[in-house]
Amino acid sequence: MAKTEIQTHGLGSGPGAGTAGDAAPAVVLENVSKSFGDHHVLRGVSLTIRRGSITVMLGPSGTGKSVLLRCLVGLLKPDTGRVLVFGEDVAALDETKAKDREKLFAIRRRFGMLFQDGALFDDMTVYDNVAFPMRLHTDLSEAEIRERVIDKLHRVGLKGGEQKFPAELSGGMRKRVAFARAIALEPDIVLCDEPSSGLDPVMSATLDELIMEMHRSLGITFIIISHDTAEAKMVADTIGMLANGHLVAFGPKEEVFREDHPAIHQFFARETQGPIKVV
Amino acid sequence: MKRLIDFLETLGALGAFAWQVFWSTLTSPRYFKETLRMMDVLVRRCIIPVGLAVAPVGAVISLQGIDVFKLFGAERMLSSFLGTAIVREYSPALASVMVAAQAGSSIAARIGTMKVRGQIDALAVMGVDPVRYVVVPGVIACLVVTPLLSVITNFLGIASGWFFAVPIGGVDHGAFMEHLTAQITAADLWVGLGKCALFGLGVGVIAGFLGLRVKHGAASVGKAANDTVVNTIILILLTDYVVSMMLLGMGL
Ligand SMILES: Nc1ncnc2c1ncn2[C@@H]1O[C@H](COP(=O)(O)OP(=O)(O)O)[C@@H](O)[C@H]1O
Ligand SMILES: [Mg+2]
Repeated sequence: MAKTEIQTHGLGSGPGAGTAGDAAPAVVLENVSKSFGDHHVLRGVSLTIRRGSITVMLGPSGTGKSVLLRCLVGLLKPDTGRVLVFGEDVAALDETKAKDREKLFAIRRRFGMLFQDGALFDDMTVYDNVAFPMRLHTDLSEAEIRERVIDKLHRVGLKGGEQKFPAELSGGMRKRVAFARAIALEPDIVLCDEPSSGLDPVMSATLDELIMEMHRSLGITFIIISHDTAEAKMVADTIGMLANGHLVAFGPKEEVFREDHPAIHQFFARETQGPIKVV
Repeated sequence: MKRLIDFLETLGALGAFAWQVFWSTLTSPRYFKETLRMMDVLVRRCIIPVGLAVAPVGAVISLQGIDVFKLFGAERMLSSFLGTAIVREYSPALASVMVAAQAGSSIAARIGTMKVRGQIDALAVMGVDPVRYVVVPGVIACLVVTPLLSVITNFLGIASGWFFAVPIGGVDHGAFMEHLTAQITAADLWVGLGKCALFGLGVGVIAGFLGLRVKHGAASVGKAANDTVVNTIILILLTDYVVSMMLLGMGL
């Protein structure tokens, strides 16, 4: 494949870009590589994510988009490189040391994460799943929690059914509950691993609107993984494209779309021939 | 050779894990509600099997013992044998083995399933240390519940022994009670409880360790549960033997 990387590190001024100019960016990756055995998944990825931006990471399946997200929250440790979250290097923290462990968990509390398959607690009801982070990390009364849980569930289009268990829901519903749980604490950064896959177009658009609304009203930084180019066009202010372990494009939406990089062109044009190889 | 190295590695990892559990117990955050919930679950799960396991033992000791003691004309002494056997040996061992079988396997399976389904990762990303939230409560619950169960099995074992000795075997009730209380010392009771706490602790730690080690698939969850039961039962019986020998040597 072509080894060229078009790294357009633009600091675009999308909506909500007004926050803290001098403070550290939300996330900085510096030359992050990750292999599993001799399978090189990420090959030196560098990028900067501004506070208050909505970044959509595109890329074919199996290129390491989920691996990238897991590196951000310290669930995976990159082989090389730094992962700075609000200036703190997550990759340098050693989970076997009690001090580092505490630090890592403190950083993680600034994240909300929607996992690709939801990862709801299946011995808890929908209600308890969404209430869980509030019960653990806030002093809110049960009545206040109730109000917020219902509000979050309403926002993701789930009315009633709070007492159901995850096993009793459809895949799309589970995903929406998981999104409600991810935004429950209104964290600084929300990571969404393929929020729209498994949702019907209407529900998917509803979720996109919710993301934009949370972004507008709370200034939450979103990093969203998607296959869906329409979704990227709608919600993103920054777009990144991962292919074959490289960040082949990254920058303000308008620029990336203008650039017409072969990989991006192939991805958006849905062509089978091009730099993206199906292995 | 490779197996030996693997084994030593696992042992080292288990040691480090046990230390982490210990450290997490000493420091906050602690999850009391989850701990209480685990205790409640364990008691419900274990009480009937444990009772069913120990009651026949008391009965058998009486049934078998009474004939032997009769040979020496000492059937009045039967209860002192029954009492020490139940309180010092059978009740702690059976309570612990049942906790290993019931609680250990279910804890390992639960944690393994959470691991496979990404829920352990989800906890971690929510800023909740999985060791603190899912492992420590299980360990504390096992540590507390096992001795509690052994108190119940003490009563049950002796009661069933009494039933087969007194109404059925014809031993005098007064003599039975007299020799029973004369022989069981406070030390016996404490030794029994202490062993249970130790075994419970072992079950909780090993279940948590093997549960978190699960990598993928339903089969490996089953294996973790299975390994927990087998390993802890062997460990319990071996430790029990060693501890009994040591205590007898010390004259306790
Ligand atoms: N824990 C792991 N162990 C081994 N290989 C992994 C692991 N996680 C991901 N991979 C591999 O890394 C590659 C990228 O995976 P992933 O990030 O999930 O892709 P996607 O871009 O579709 O999200 C895949 O080939 C996957 O098999
Ligand atoms: Mg993925």
